[in-house]
Amino acid sequence: MRVSVFHLVLLAGLAAIGATGCTDAAPSATPGAEGKPLRILSLTPNVTEILFAMGLGDRVVGRSNYCTYPPEAASVPAVGDTLQLNLQEVIRLQPTIAFLITRRTEVPRRLEGLGVRTVPLESDRMDQMLQAIRTIGLETGRADAAQALLARLRADLEAVRGRVAGLPRAKVLFAFPMTVGSARIMVAGRGTFVDDLLGVAGAENAYPEAADWPSIGPQQVVALAPQVVIINATGEDAPPDRAEAIRRAWDSLPSVPAVAAGRVHVLTEAYLTIPGPRIGQAARLLAETIHPDVKGSGALRLKAPDPLAAPQERKP
Amino acid sequence: MAQNGGNPVMPGGGPQGPAPVAGVPPAGGPYLAARDIVFAYGRGTPVLNGLVMEVGRGRLVNILGPNGSGKTTLLRVLVGLLRPSAGEIRLAGLRLGDYPRAALARRIAYVPQDTHSALGFTVLETVLMGRSPHTGALGFETSGDWLAAREALRMTDTEPFAERGLDELSGGERQRVVIARALAQTPELILLDEPTAFLDIKHQHAIYGLLRRLVRERGMTVVCVSHDLNLAAAYGDDLILLDAGRVAAAGNPEQVLRPEILSPVYDTPVEVRTDETTGRPYVLPRPPGRLGDRAR
Amino acid sequence: MRVRPFTSRGYLVSLLVGLGAWGVVAAVAVGIGGRLWAWESAAQMRDALNLRLEAVLTASVVGAALALAGLAFQALLRNPLAEPYILGVSGGAGLGFILSYLFLSIFWAPLLGFAGALATVAIVYTVAQRRGRIEPYTLLLSGVILNAFYGAAIMLLTALVSPAKRGDIAVWMMGNIGAFGPQWELVGVVGAMAVGAAALFAVLAKGFNLVAVGEDAAGAMGVNVGRLRIVTFAAASLVTGASVTLAGPIGFVGLICPHLLRMVLGPDHRRLVPAALFFGAAFLVLADLAACLWEGAGNRALPVGVLTAMCGGPFFIYLLRTRWRRTAEIQ
Repeated sequence: MRVSVFHLVLLAGLAAIGATGCTDAAPSATPGAEGKPLRILSLTPNVTEILFAMGLGDRVVGRSNYCTYPPEAASVPAVGDTLQLNLQEVIRLQPTIAFLITRRTEVPRRLEGLGVRTVPLESDRMDQMLQAIRTIGLETGRADAAQALLARLRADLEAVRGRVAGLPRAKVLFAFPMTVGSARIMVAGRGTFVDDLLGVAGAENAYPEAADWPSIGPQQVVALAPQVVIINATGEDAPPDRAEAIRRAWDSLPSVPAVAAGRVHVLTEAYLTIPGPRIGQAARLLAETIHPDVKGSGALRLKAPDPLAAPQERKP
Repeated sequence: MAQNGGNPVMPGGGPQGPAPVAGVPPAGGPYLAARDIVFAYGRGTPVLNGLVMEVGRGRLVNILGPNGSGKTTLLRVLVGLLRPSAGEIRLAGLRLGDYPRAALARRIAYVPQDTHSALGFTVLETVLMGRSPHTGALGFETSGDWLAAREALRMTDTEPFAERGLDELSGGERQRVVIARALAQTPELILLDEPTAFLDIKHQHAIYGLLRRLVRERGMTVVCVSHDLNLAAAYGDDLILLDAGRVAAAGNPEQVLRPEILSPVYDTPVEVRTDETTGRPYVLPRPPGRLGDRAR
Repeated sequence: MRVRPFTSRGYLVSLLVGLGAWGVVAAVAVGIGGRLWAWESAAQMRDALNLRLEAVLTASVVGAALALAGLAFQALLRNPLAEPYILGVSGGAGLGFILSYLFLSIFWAPLLGFAGALATVAIVYTVAQRRGRIEPYTLLLSGVILNAFYGAAIMLLTALVSPAKRGDIAVWMMGNIGAFGPQWELVGVVGAMAVGAAALFAVLAKGFNLVAVGEDAAGAMGVNVGRLRIVTFAAASLVTGASVTLAGPIGFVGLICPHLLRMVLGPDHRRLVPAALFFGAAFLVLADLAACLWEGAGNRALPVGVLTAMCGGPFFIYLLRTRWRRTAEIQ
């Protein structure tokens, strides 16, 4: 058939539609989807954990100074943190996508300026963190790995919830150790990630108001009258003599029910406050601490082995 | 009576032994004696260079000399504020260093040239401070202390402004208050550094009149640094003339105020006349150039 | 104002009155600050009482120490603007404390705090001295510069440590009455030092009066001026270092209290020393109570050091304008 002008115009129109269709396909180009090599920059510790848990550990080319878990992450080059970013190093590593959690808008802008697709995430609440996993899956073209991780985590949380279902909800105060010279301690307010964990572990947050990480004084603690107190002493606060000092400090408030009943627990695990793949362990630890009879009951064993237990191989 | 060493001019007697003068003869030695005093601020040239002097009890003694001759320094050494690098000072026969500080303060009063009137003390409070060597550790005052303070105010004619602040007074009034403070110490010996430096003639004579009354009526010994030769001559019993850290001449006014002694020390020609009314000498400087020149 | 005799009986009476006044203020601060009437259980009320008692006693000893140190510095330096914070002594103690907190154990903190305070006093004194006399302008300038230096040093140190520690240090630098966890021993030590300083300064008070009128005249009246200076500076800086260790650097107490007292009692240090002990204590207790009430009304916590600075700054400017010219004339 003779190719007429009409056919040409039709072809051009279809091609144009097809081209625009392609560019509209995803909010922006997903490197993994198009088959380009995936080079991930992760600037937040829990994001790094999630990436490794999803099996993307070998794709992480840069991390922040504070991304120290899992141990394999230590061999990834560090580029500073969201306060002080080593842009030279970032450029050298040539990441194709960056994930971070920050309130400082200039950092994503900077990275975008360098041509790195930057995806800001949120993890202040449990569901935000779960959504972040989903987003990472989409952005990296590994939606299936994300789904698998989400399923594991949901199952872990359900297991804990199930075990503590019938037990009375204790009034729990989750706090950090006191600092030198200050009369206040930081506690988890309502509407935070730790607050969500407490809910899963069968506890009610003794602090009644929605607040990020409020600082309260000892008089307020007496007024709150928690039944269980959990102090998360990590890093330099972890050594036994520090734990002793913390317990002694709390002993000076005998009217607090937790102190009177000897229910002031010092936990040194750092993952309690990291919204990441270890929330299952965190929820279990909290549940066992808050409801001691739950411990060692076998029913709390997690469905799948620790997703981070298997070592990841790094390809250069 | 004053003596000097190392200088050919002698007061009316030989090199050994004091010449008798009217007044209390020193029993067992002079009341205040300084021997071979050497003192320098830091590492510079010594301000006092082998100085020797004596002061008899119950005398009004004036220390004179050109600027830089060491008058103020000598006074501070005599009080014990500065320690000489050589020589010793004896008060009533005992070395100055042998007296405990408080005991010394009960016997010697010092009236310095500058008064810092700081922080708003009243006249009465200032004068009462003179009782410090007599009050105890915490400074409690007795009625005796208040009597001494009131007496000191009366003697210096400063009672009318007892309740006023020190800063509100004129220079002359402030000077009298400081003297009152020294008097409140009920000392035997008063050392004053140019007490009439900034006063007008009426107050200059008032102060010196007071000093002479203290000597005559109370038996105090007064040693006064002065820049005014004639004032010193009019009121002083003894004069000590300093030159470059040593005593150039010592004796009564007639003995010391002589042109052949004064001109080399002050480096200017002088004439000495006698005041017919008082019988005391007075000094007329005669610097070169036409005196009495008037502007036309 | 009529001058009254300074007698032992009058002294005893004034001591009792001062103690009583402080006692009343302290009791009110404990009661109101702890809202002692509002607790449901007796055990809770007892805890609140303990907490408030410790806070009020801490404020008392720190306030007394700083007021006495300020009085001593003003007397010896003959400058109404001298006080431990302005002279940089608190800053030096603070730097010592932070150094030991960050790099050694907290056990060394009191010692390094003292060392910092003493070193600062030595530097300030040496720099501001000429021919045996203190120059007031040089003195204040050296205090300003030392404070700037300490500020920079502390910033450098905080840059080397984790963000969490940085926050801790920033909070500590604002001054804090009370800690989470009892520190009765430290409160007792600082209290003993404050009372000891008051006793020492009471004996030296005569000397302060005389030195204020002139160092030569003071020396001639039996005051060993050199020894007075050393002992006073050492005692003032020790007691400052102790209170910084206990409550962080709190400024302007040593400036405001002596001045307010002078307005009422006059310049006689024999009366001012015991008054500074009780009034300084009551002053900081009231400041702490104000901060407590401010917080109780639902606002964010107000560190005591911030409160004293907000009052002290304008007060300092007022003093500059009224007394500076007089000081210039005097010196």
